[in-house]
Amino acid sequence: MSIITIKNLSYQYPISESDALKDVSVTIERGKLYALVGANGGGKTTLCNVIRGFIPHFYKGDLRGEVLIEGKDIREWGMGELSQKVGYVFQNPFTQISGVKDNVFEEIAFGLENLGMEPGLIREKVDQVIRMLEIDYLRDKNPFELSGGQKQRVALASIIVMEPDVLVIDEPTSQLDPKGTEEVFKIIELMKNKGKTIILVEHKIELIAEYADYIILLNEGEVAMQGSTREILTDERALTFGAALPQYSLFGMEMRRRGMDLGSIPLTEKEAIEAVKTWMKKGVNA
Amino acid sequence: MSFLTLTNASFAYPNGYKAVDRVNMSFNKGESVAIVGQNGAGKTTTVKMMNGLLKPSEGDVVIDGWNTRDYTTAQISRKVGYVFQNPDDQIFHNDVYSEIEFGPRKLGLPEEQVKANVMKAAELAGVVPFLKDNPYNLPYSMRKFVTIASVIAMDSSVIILDEPTAGQDLPAMERLANLIETLNQEGKTIITITHDMEFVVNNFHRVIVMANRQVIADDDKRAIFWNLDVLERAMLKQPHISRLGYSLGIGHNILAIPELADELAKHK
Amino acid sequence: MNNERSMLSRLYPTTKFMITIALCLAAFIVPGYGFSYAVLPICMVLAYFAGSFKEFSNLAIKALLMIVVFIFILQSFFYPGHDILWSWGIFSIKREGVEFALFLTSKIVAVASAFILFFRITKVKDLVHSLEQIGLPSKVTYVILSTLQLIPEMKKLTLVIMDAQKTRGVETEGKLLVRMKAFLPTLSPLILGSVASTEERVLTLESRAFSANVKKSSIYTLEKTKYDRLVQILLIVLLAILIVWRVAL
Repeated sequence: MSIITIKNLSYQYPISESDALKDVSVTIERGKLYALVGANGGGKTTLCNVIRGFIPHFYKGDLRGEVLIEGKDIREWGMGELSQKVGYVFQNPFTQISGVKDNVFEEIAFGLENLGMEPGLIREKVDQVIRMLEIDYLRDKNPFELSGGQKQRVALASIIVMEPDVLVIDEPTSQLDPKGTEEVFKIIELMKNKGKTIILVEHKIELIAEYADYIILLNEGEVAMQGSTREILTDERALTFGAALPQYSLFGMEMRRRGMDLGSIPLTEKEAIEAVKTWMKKGVNA
Repeated sequence: MSFLTLTNASFAYPNGYKAVDRVNMSFNKGESVAIVGQNGAGKTTTVKMMNGLLKPSEGDVVIDGWNTRDYTTAQISRKVGYVFQNPDDQIFHNDVYSEIEFGPRKLGLPEEQVKANVMKAAELAGVVPFLKDNPYNLPYSMRKFVTIASVIAMDSSVIILDEPTAGQDLPAMERLANLIETLNQEGKTIITITHDMEFVVNNFHRVIVMANRQVIADDDKRAIFWNLDVLERAMLKQPHISRLGYSLGIGHNILAIPELADELAKHK
Repeated sequence: MNNERSMLSRLYPTTKFMITIALCLAAFIVPGYGFSYAVLPICMVLAYFAGSFKEFSNLAIKALLMIVVFIFILQSFFYPGHDILWSWGIFSIKREGVEFALFLTSKIVAVASAFILFFRITKVKDLVHSLEQIGLPSKVTYVILSTLQLIPEMKKLTLVIMDAQKTRGVETEGKLLVRMKAFLPTLSPLILGSVASTEERVLTLESRAFSANVKKSSIYTLEKTKYDRLVQILLIVLLAILIVWRVAL
């Protein structure tokens, strides 16, 4: 069942002269992880902003076409209402803290306070999220004094605690080191297993190959390709649209070019190991 | 001969916290070196000692005969350029051209030289189409290239790039690679901090690994990426293709796809 | 929760504010300047019991000394009067001036000490929380709190920007003029940066349902205790006695 339906969406920012999104049509199924990929400036963040309702509620400009969240047009959703439906986490860890809380526990509680939830229940939910994301050791720290990776996990916790059905996560790891990246992806995987619908913008393509169900490749505001992760990431044309391909796919393609076809194009490390092993066995038998 | 040397250089903050502990490094003219390690390992503190932003609390940092203790950062900027991690800390002009022009003009170069430097830097960084634009209207990744251009334009012998790969897409990565190679060929020393191991494999030979405020390895990339002990101590992983080779138990020095394919061809 | 915090600092913010107001009123009710000056040591004693004697004394004395000396010099020389106490050339100290300076500075000392005490023993968080309880809109309290939190952040950012400019050849070390010249260019990235981060912060707030149309709740609670009632009654009684005494006089 689809949770978000976008039909013939075009959008132009207020002072811009051309469309940032051109005739985009996308259907988002419930419980799946969609990766938005492609070169910067291709419209990934703009599309996120539409799904989260910042366009048209916060950024004005010219929005054409249809954007339905659970069947209701984005223009008809209220911002407060939408915050419980679609959660949003973005790139910059430093601007994602409320700026008014002096400890992580209250920082995470902030969203629920705004929703007027009963304090006892808030404490319970915050406790739960803190345990789930394994950030208990940050509980009493001042959000301003956390490292980038810690801030980003607190930002995720602050959104997850509001229990939105959809998570829009825009480049959560681009300011983080490998360890921070790994921890953020652990959380994304956890949310996926909980059945959340996730829309993720990320440049680290090996991680996308690992976690995404579907890929939407945006190029110059248009959907250049969309389909299952396997379909897109084993297709060399993706490169011409400014998207990266995982090292493993590129390796499979190189083998094919050299006449040493592995039989399939592997996407992940695991698949590559399997493919090479099978291929070597065949070689010995032949 | 070494152009830039750190000898037992430590840095401690006024509150006593030691961010870098007895680091030794030396760089020749025309070298390109990657520094890798987790955040908090001391990478940024170390490179900030290289241009005098931080003065070592112990030990010495000498650049082309200058001990950084005796010079201000502004003076050292002739010799060592440093591109900050966050472009927004650096940009302070309303159009890209003025931004790039600021450094070379501040150095007192003649008018034609300033112009030539700006155009060359803008071309290398790929920001020529935006010279008249306000940098703040450009996307984050392009702003980063504006700051890279404004440091290149100062024509210093050493250029330090602090996490230039963060948040960059494929075309930007290619532009970065090209820029590093060109500057290298001109005899400039390029020191790059990055978390992207594939980027290191494709663009550098020498790799310095930092962990826990110290240098734990300084070697050719092949030696580094197959030294699992060092990688583990630094909490780093092998590049994807090396990892694949390792898991398959073949070729104990593979770094890139063609090498892996070559190795497999032998097994066939 | 925090047992180490003394009784005084655990009082409800409005009670603390009543202490401040009572001290100010008393300074104006009691004639002469002696009592007004005495408000400073009174506040120091109170600060001692709240566990922030040193911070309070340092701040209060530093801030007040300059102002008091300045007013004394100005008023004693330039206040119009005839009763000359001492003169040197065209300058002369008049008794009226000294008296006026005593009056003015004593009131300033009283009011300023009382307010400095209030802000020393009241956490901003508590203050804002109690303001919200009284009914101040959350948008206003957000601005107050975030501004106070952001000041140290801005300071850090200024240092980073200064560093960035050093690396572009801007000399920031040395004479005042050199440093002034270096400071100006930091302003534009500081302002532009704050504008950009303000935009992102708005998105953050929207993501956290800040504009949701319901009454907000708060997991942070401040309880009014029986001590609050006690202190409030005590203050009112003392003030009443003062007023009666003053009128009867």
